[in-house]
Amino acid sequence: MKLSKSSIVLIVALGLFLIYMFGQSESSLEIVDFSVDKPETQTTSIASNEERSPYYGDLHVHTKYSFDAYVFGITATPDDAYRYAKGEGIKHPLGYEMKLREPLDFYAVTDHGIFLGMINAFADTTTKASQKPWAEPFHNLNRPENMNDASFGERANLFSSVLRGAIVNPYPYWHPKVIKAWLTKNTAVALKSFDYDVHKSAWADIARAAEEHNDPGKFTSFIGYEFTSSTNVEGGNLHRNVIFNSSEAPIRPWSRIDSINPEDLWTWMDKLRDKGVDSLAMPHNSNGSNGQMFEMETFRGYPIDVAYSEKRMRNEPIVEITQVKGTSETHPLLSPDDEWADFEIMNKRIGSRPPTYSMPQGGYVRDAYLRGLRLEWTRQGNPYKFGLIGSSDSHTGAGAYDENNYWSKVGLLDGTAQARGAVPLSAERVKMLREYAEEYKQPLGISEEEQGTYTAPGFFDQWGASGLAVVWSENNTRDSIFAALKRKETFATTGTRMAVRFFAGYDMQSIDLNSESLIKEAYTKGVTMGADLMAEGTKSPDFIVWAQRDKNGSPLQRIQIIKGWIDATNSVPYEMVYDVACSDGLSVDPLTNRCPDNGARVNINDCSISQDVGSAELKTTWSDPDFDPAVKSFYYVRVLENPTCRWSTWDAIKAGLKPRAVLHQTIQERAWTSPIWFIPEEGDLDIIPLAGSVSAGD
Amino acid sequence: MRKRILIFLIAGFLIYLIDIALNSDESNKDIYITDQELTSLITAWKSQVGRDPTDEEIVKIINNLVEEEILYREALLLGLDKEDRIIKRRLAQKITFLKQETLLENPNQEALKLFYNENKEKYFIKPSYSFTHLFFTKETDSEGRSIQALQGLLTDKTPIDSDPFLLGKNFIDKTAEEIARNFGNDFIAAFANLELNKWSGPFESSFGNHLVLLRDYKEGFYPPFNEIKNQVLNDYFTQTKENALNKYINDVKSEYRIIINPNLEF
Repeated sequence: MKLSKSSIVLIVALGLFLIYMFGQSESSLEIVDFSVDKPETQTTSIASNEERSPYYGDLHVHTKYSFDAYVFGITATPDDAYRYAKGEGIKHPLGYEMKLREPLDFYAVTDHGIFLGMINAFADTTTKASQKPWAEPFHNLNRPENMNDASFGERANLFSSVLRGAIVNPYPYWHPKVIKAWLTKNTAVALKSFDYDVHKSAWADIARAAEEHNDPGKFTSFIGYEFTSSTNVEGGNLHRNVIFNSSEAPIRPWSRIDSINPEDLWTWMDKLRDKGVDSLAMPHNSNGSNGQMFEMETFRGYPIDVAYSEKRMRNEPIVEITQVKGTSETHPLLSPDDEWADFEIMNKRIGSRPPTYSMPQGGYVRDAYLRGLRLEWTRQGNPYKFGLIGSSDSHTGAGAYDENNYWSKVGLLDGTAQARGAVPLSAERVKMLREYAEEYKQPLGISEEEQGTYTAPGFFDQWGASGLAVVWSENNTRDSIFAALKRKETFATTGTRMAVRFFAGYDMQSIDLNSESLIKEAYTKGVTMGADLMAEGTKSPDFIVWAQRDKNGSPLQRIQIIKGWIDATNSVPYEMVYDVACSDGLSVDPLTNRCPDNGARVNINDCSISQDVGSAELKTTWSDPDFDPAVKSFYYVRVLENPTCRWSTWDAIKAGLKPRAVLHQTIQERAWTSPIWFIPEEGDLDIIPLAGSVSAGD
Repeated sequence: MRKRILIFLIAGFLIYLIDIALNSDESNKDIYITDQELTSLITAWKSQVGRDPTDEEIVKIINNLVEEEILYREALLLGLDKEDRIIKRRLAQKITFLKQETLLENPNQEALKLFYNENKEKYFIKPSYSFTHLFFTKETDSEGRSIQALQGLLTDKTPIDSDPFLLGKNFIDKTAEEIARNFGNDFIAAFANLELNKWSGPFESSFGNHLVLLRDYKEGFYPPFNEIKNQVLNDYFTQTKENALNKYINDVKSEYRIIINPNLEF
């Protein structure tokens, strides 16, 4: 029997369908050894410090391979990024030099998995990918004569159009990829402009650079990328950075082309782990997720169960609490009694245009820890038991961590003080903004203020010079740092290089804080940041906390311990901020739990700070005055420096102006440790959730 | 291998262009399709679809090829290749590859050694210090206590009243830069004249005063050429590639005259 034409079409279509649905997902599991031929450096063994040292790094940096970075005018390569981290100066797209005051210990280039290397290829008119019609708007985008901030309208528009998927003709309706897109509610699947060859070669170059710059004992780099996913309708940001603990890595990153559901990312990571390639994912910018990063249910709206919680924690032991696009510790609406909650708040959804409000509930770390305890109460496991790091998310290859030396992060779009909203706009710039608003139907983003016309508040002015990831590890090698991340022995800073230790145990009072064996004893007698402290009868634990200032920064003002817990009889969440150590020999008022004002001030005219106020180090043993052995709780440390000028104040002063009145003029740089969780003995409370929905699996 | 194919393709393309130039009379409208071209197209089809094409599909493949060729030739006749940025860039890139590849020969031992000597600083292993220190925090009479402690150390063995240092007591194989990162920029000056295994100080850091016992000092050195030969070779290739194109451009640049309107305003 001869097959009719239509049945051939049907069979071919079915074949293609199967290839696309399953074939490609499989290919993401192919493992490649990216290690480069490097000379055997002398076999002197790498020294290890058993008591562990703090190593400072950034695990979130983009280069020209990111679709948006390229649109923002970035031409820095992964090699440039690693050179920057090691202390060399590299060029900002606007021409000035970016250089670190002191080098970093580790760094990871994490370009967006989606469209990895694609825009670069679209713009380079010599590539095959660039000859497709949808590539045209990108042609020679970063030609020299276009490298100025006047091209921002074109660039901002392209950025949002890529996010919306509008530059790309979808496949025709009958195409299996469209069916897959429809079935998985993931429009990215249907993008015709995706080119796997370009994708893989960009990935190989990123991996090569990471391998070449990794220098065990001196400098660590990780092969990594950003899984850039968001919820379908609200655009809730679900971005995660993924890093691999080896020279071996998959042939291509798992991106939102494969799935927008983070659970599928974890499945993929689990499968790679079975094949011997370990990795971890780090959510970031939960502040811009419209409350969807730390939900009380799964991505698909099913109840969270123990299996989900375990899978999430297996793959996501770390969360980025601070970065350029704001800090996600807590929000004034969530923590009204915390005087330091209003810190570098960025209240918009990531990539939204026009900028759109992001709901705080479910988007901040402290709230997530409480949600985790509540989920555990209803026997759903705790999916939010993560440690903390900071990172920059710079798209220029170079993180900006200093208030006094700040270039924000999106290249031509925010590379000047005017564009960032720190100083008034020039007349031409206002004209450009008007044209942009008209051409792209956007709100006119300007604001008339005392010193002139500024960009409307609430966008780049909400961004900041932050942050760093710090690990306590035995030495500066991939294995050691990765292990520290996995056990959550980490802290985050807003760019300052302070250091902080944190221990809890039942025999901490016996340790002499002035003894040389302090750290050794603390490790033996207690647990450190990131760990669980199990109940011992009704004993009350003690905490040792010890912070050292950044030698180039502002002195320390106070150490705080933040406690969160749920009521043991009804799971109502509570939180409390305790000052535990004060600078200048001052002591905490036991009624208010606050240090007295140490008198540190900032001179807003020249940014000078009070001399001889504040401490080089603070150290104390603390016990919780409200401790209840039946209560599930967590404790983390926040260390505050004396106030200094915010970057926007520096920008204004350098321009000979007064700081912009509507912005915070000073900030208190700070660090947060991963929490220690107190685990009470299991009670015999019989908890029956309504409708018994917990047992229903996903 | 792929590069060689590219070179052949480029050569073929050039011959083809010359051929067109020589036979540019309107009457020559023959299109030759080689066996090789056809087989490679069919192989590509197979690898994408996963089966042999039917006769019907082979006809389609050939038709596509013919149509592309016709459109291509008509476009050339209309001069559409002129002043086209894509084509300009493509050709520029091709010659870039050619110029970079032709120079990639293995250097002989002497050339490599010369390169190593010229870039010696890059391979220098910096001097490093191993030391123990005693710390006296700024918070309580740092200097007084440290001076007293030093006297104690140098005379009798009375117990020393020092403070724990957050980064630890012993430091092994640290370079000057690393010490500066842990103690502040001025601290390293103290290390210049230290005697081995003898307590000295006090030296001031950002955190207080320190007494230092230098346990080991390793001189900086240039690693022997043979040990780092691979690295030198890699660097040599990277640099030759970069140099090759620049050299080529410089060589031919002199033959060109560049005219730019001096009155153009940006």
